[in-house]
Amino acid sequence: MADPARIKTDSTSAISLTIKHLKKEDNEDMPVTSNADIEFKDPASQSLKHEHKQDGDEEDDDEGASGQSASKKLKVEPEKKKEKRQKVDEDEIQKMQVLVSSFSEEQLNRYEMYRRSAFPKAAIKRLIQSITGSSVSQNVVIAMSGISKVFAGEIVEEALDVCEKWGDTPPLQPKHMREAVRRLKSREQIPNTKHKQILFH
Amino acid sequence: MAEEEDETGFEEDLDDGAGGADGSHGKRKRLFSKELRCMMYGFGDDQNPYTESVDILEDLVIEFVTEMTHKAMSIGRQGRVQVEDIVFLIRKDPRKFARVKDLLTMNEELKRARKAFDEANYGS
Repeated sequence: MADPARIKTDSTSAISLTIKHLKKEDNEDMPVTSNADIEFKDPASQSLKHEHKQDGDEEDDDEGASGQSASKKLKVEPEKKKEKRQKVDEDEIQKMQVLVSSFSEEQLNRYEMYRRSAFPKAAIKRLIQSITGSSVSQNVVIAMSGISKVFAGEIVEEALDVCEKWGDTPPLQPKHMREAVRRLKSREQIPNTKHKQILFH
Repeated sequence: MAEEEDETGFEEDLDDGAGGADGSHGKRKRLFSKELRCMMYGFGDDQNPYTESVDILEDLVIEFVTEMTHKAMSIGRQGRVQVEDIVFLIRKDPRKFARVKDLLTMNEELKRARKAFDEANYGS
C-alpha cells in the first residue's frame, strides 16, 4: 500500500539550513513537508546542535535567513550542498503535490485524517506532568505528541502487514495488534525497561 | 506475570475499563479514543476501527509516553524532562528523530512569523 506515512530521513542533513518555504497549515503541529528548510537557531536547543552535528565543522559565511546575527551561529555547510538539498526539497514538494492532486476521494479523506489527527496537547501534558511531578515546557509536549504519533503509526503499519500476511481484512483486530507489538519488540522498537536482564552472574 | 501490553486471553472478553481487570491500567478513563480512531484511519485501518484495537493502541501509547518520560528523567538533568533528553533518547530511530526535528523547527518558525506579524501590525 502506498505509504505517505513514511517520512524520508536524510542521514547527512545537518541542522543548518536556510528558510525556504513557509506554508502555514491549519494545524500548526503538522508541518507541510517533512523536509522544511529551516535555520535551527533556537538558543535553547544549543545542546541539540552539538549532539547532532554530523558534518565536518566548516565555518562558512552565514546565510542568516531572517537577518538575525545572534552570537550563537550554526556551522554552515558549503553553498553547493545547500543548493542541492533545496533543489531536492523542491522536487519532493512538487512530487507530493502531483501525488495529492491525483488522489481519489477516499484517499484524500484518509490523507486528511493522517495529516490532521494528533494527540491533544492538554492530555499529553497532563500525563507527563503526572509522571514527573513537575511542569514541563511546551516543546516537550510538542515533541512527545509527535513521536507518539509516529509510534502509533509504526504499530498500525506493522499490524496491517500482519493482517495482510494472515489473509485477514481490515479493520484490525486485537490479535493483529498484539502480533505487531511482538514483532516490534523483537526489533527493539518498543521501549521496555521493566525486564532487567542480568548479563553475568 | 503477563507483560503490560500483551493482554493475553482473558482481556479480550472484558470490556475496556468497565469493570473487571483489564490487566494494564485498571479503570483508567480513555484519554485518546476519538483522536486514535482518526489516526488509525489515517494510517491505513478501516474507517471504523474496532474499539478493542483502539484500546490496545491507547495503552501502548500511554506506556510509550511513560517509558520515555521515565528515561528522560533519568538522563540529563535528573527529575526533569527536557527536549534535549527526548531527542537524545530518540537519536537511534531515524523516523522519530526526523519528526521531532521538523516539529521543533516548524514551531520556531511559526513563532517567529507570528511575532513578526504582530510587530508589523503594531507598527502600522
